[in-house]
Amino acid sequence: MSGIARGRLAEERKSWRKNHPFGFVARPQNLQDGTVDLMNWQCSLPGKVGTDWEGGFYPLMLHFSEDYPSKPPKCKFPAGFFHPNVYPSGTVCLSILNEDSGWRPAITVKQILVGIQELLDAPNPADPAQTDAYTLYIQDVEEYRRRVRVQAKQYPPP
Amino acid sequence: MDDVPSSEEETSDIDTGSWSDDEDMPAPQALYTILSEKDIKDRQAEAIDNVWTVLSVSKTDAGILLRHFKWSVSRVNDAWFADEARVRETVGLIEWSVEGDAYDGANKLTCWICFDTLPREDMKAPVCRHYFCESCWTGYIHTAINDGPGCLTLRCPHSTCSAAVGEDMVLSLASEEDAQKYHRYLLRSYVEDNRKVKWCPAPGCEFAVELIPGSTVYDVTCKCGHQFCWNCLEEAHRPVDCDTVAKWILKNSAESENMNWILANSKPCPKCKRPIEKNQGCMHMSCTPPCKYEFCWLCLGAWSEHGERTGGFYACNRYEIAKQEGVYDEAERRREMAKNSLEKYTHYYERWATNESSRVKAKEDLIKLEKEKIEDLSNKQCQPVSQLKFVADAMAQVVECRRVLKWTYAYGYYLKVEEQGKRDFFEYLQGEAEHGLERLQECAEKDLKDFLQADGPKSNFNEFRTKLAGLTSVTRIYFQNLVRALENGLSDVDPAPSPSRSGSSKGIGSSKLTVSKSLNGSRRGSASGSASRRTGGGDEPEYWTCGRCTYGNPMAAEVCDMCQNVRGL
Repeated sequence: MSGIARGRLAEERKSWRKNHPFGFVARPQNLQDGTVDLMNWQCSLPGKVGTDWEGGFYPLMLHFSEDYPSKPPKCKFPAGFFHPNVYPSGTVCLSILNEDSGWRPAITVKQILVGIQELLDAPNPADPAQTDAYTLYIQDVEEYRRRVRVQAKQYPPP
Repeated sequence: MDDVPSSEEETSDIDTGSWSDDEDMPAPQALYTILSEKDIKDRQAEAIDNVWTVLSVSKTDAGILLRHFKWSVSRVNDAWFADEARVRETVGLIEWSVEGDAYDGANKLTCWICFDTLPREDMKAPVCRHYFCESCWTGYIHTAINDGPGCLTLRCPHSTCSAAVGEDMVLSLASEEDAQKYHRYLLRSYVEDNRKVKWCPAPGCEFAVELIPGSTVYDVTCKCGHQFCWNCLEEAHRPVDCDTVAKWILKNSAESENMNWILANSKPCPKCKRPIEKNQGCMHMSCTPPCKYEFCWLCLGAWSEHGERTGGFYACNRYEIAKQEGVYDEAERRREMAKNSLEKYTHYYERWATNESSRVKAKEDLIKLEKEKIEDLSNKQCQPVSQLKFVADAMAQVVECRRVLKWTYAYGYYLKVEEQGKRDFFEYLQGEAEHGLERLQECAEKDLKDFLQADGPKSNFNEFRTKLAGLTSVTRIYFQNLVRALENGLSDVDPAPSPSRSGSSKGIGSSKLTVSKSLNGSRRGSASGSASRRTGGGDEPEYWTCGRCTYGNPMAAEVCDMCQNVRGL
């Protein structure tokens, strides 16, 4: 499958432009010389309505490798993002993004983004990735929810 | 394929059973089968035949099932007949449905990997009918195979499908090189998933060794000639146990700095023992395939036993409790002590290493002897080569003795300081062993030289034969018994520190006497194969025990055969 990364990403881009879920943004990064870098996508996903995440538009970078779609992209929030399943570096820990088990080449960018949106309000306590959010989530839900709402305000609508 | 009897033959040269005459159990020996690549393939084919005939599934499916159940036909059958649907779901065997698929009628389909639209006949799908184009399949399979043995449990590329992609499909789409790798993993899975089979660790050796249940000893000899411990895969190391060997080898490692780092920064996977460095994330560890064991980083216990009850994921109560009880301080303490005993270590290490180099030298000599010198000797002394086997036997015994002696130094190093009685006795036995071996080696090397350098046949060649053969068998028995005594932890010695109790007679309490009996066995036994140390039921002893070395001598001898001590002293 090597060598098809760019072709597939171009198709992903096309299909995204044709149709994508409301409030989501996903576009390849523009380089300074004006060219488009298909291997790195700037995305933004909205917090689900009716949850503590509502109102936030969370920036997410998708880093694709030449092995894509054999290997999953690396998905990163800004470093220090507050969520039990996000590493301190910002990398998202999600089963479908794990190349040893959950990843399948047919998973699309759309499925990834929707999957991560789902994860925001439904963290997986069995696979914590940072101490901060995890301990609060387990020990003090009220404080956890307050922190989530504070974070939502840090990422206002564009 | 080797069966049990022939593997016994493999070890027969160090086998002791028929020689020793004592009342003890027959000498423990390793029971094992050596498997060549072909044997493994035959066994795999046999297992697959077994499964597909009984379960009426395809051969590919039988392979998938067997790999999941670690190549155990009975486990496949048990699980299958207990709950077929569940087994199918776990391993990804989807039943072909008669109903058409979603693409029925369409001539062109879109590949959901590259988004190309292609004619249907250029697309391929597993039994789940998720179609992808051939080049995407090839890429998917190529990546999976080059990611390692995980490719043996490949699933459909569709995001929510768990259908297994079997051997036939993989091989039809893989390149020549990838197919070879896949075959390799397939072969390896039989050994690596199977707890009873292990690869011979010698470089380049392609044999695997299967230990037969009931074998009490782990030292095995591969067809390639490598002698190794089946349990820990280090070289054969009786009488020392695997833990001691691991500690000792770690200690000797020239890369000890490296090892110190690994010790300080990694923990071995509790299941497969590969060292794991944790660089980020939670305490929930999953070892990489094929092991995939899930465990807690703090207490190294199974993850399945963890959860809210044990204190959540960041504080493992099991670990805290164990730490309070001091379980985890033990390793630290031991390390500290080892540091302080460098001098002691050097003493034992030097002797360990010297014996190793002697062993290597003796082995080279043995090869040289068999290649050239035997011919030479045969010509000079006018003896048929077939009559000269005793010389090679003697040298082979020297090699084996050096190996045992070498490990007794690791044994001695770890013998507890408090157990003075055992220490004294151990050092005595070791000294005697060294002494006996020196005698044998001197005879095998120096005396042999005289016969090699002689101008013609010497009249005393037969004496030499008798002497060397005798020494060989005496030394063999001494070492066999030494090995057994050390393996028993010198259990004959009272734990109380009372090193000087040799004077008493054959009473129960006389530790030295009891052991020496079993150590020396019976000379008569070795000479004639007789099975008793004493005559009939009479109490009259046939042997007298040397007061210095405790060797059992014939009543007729006035001087000890072993140490030349005069009788009665």
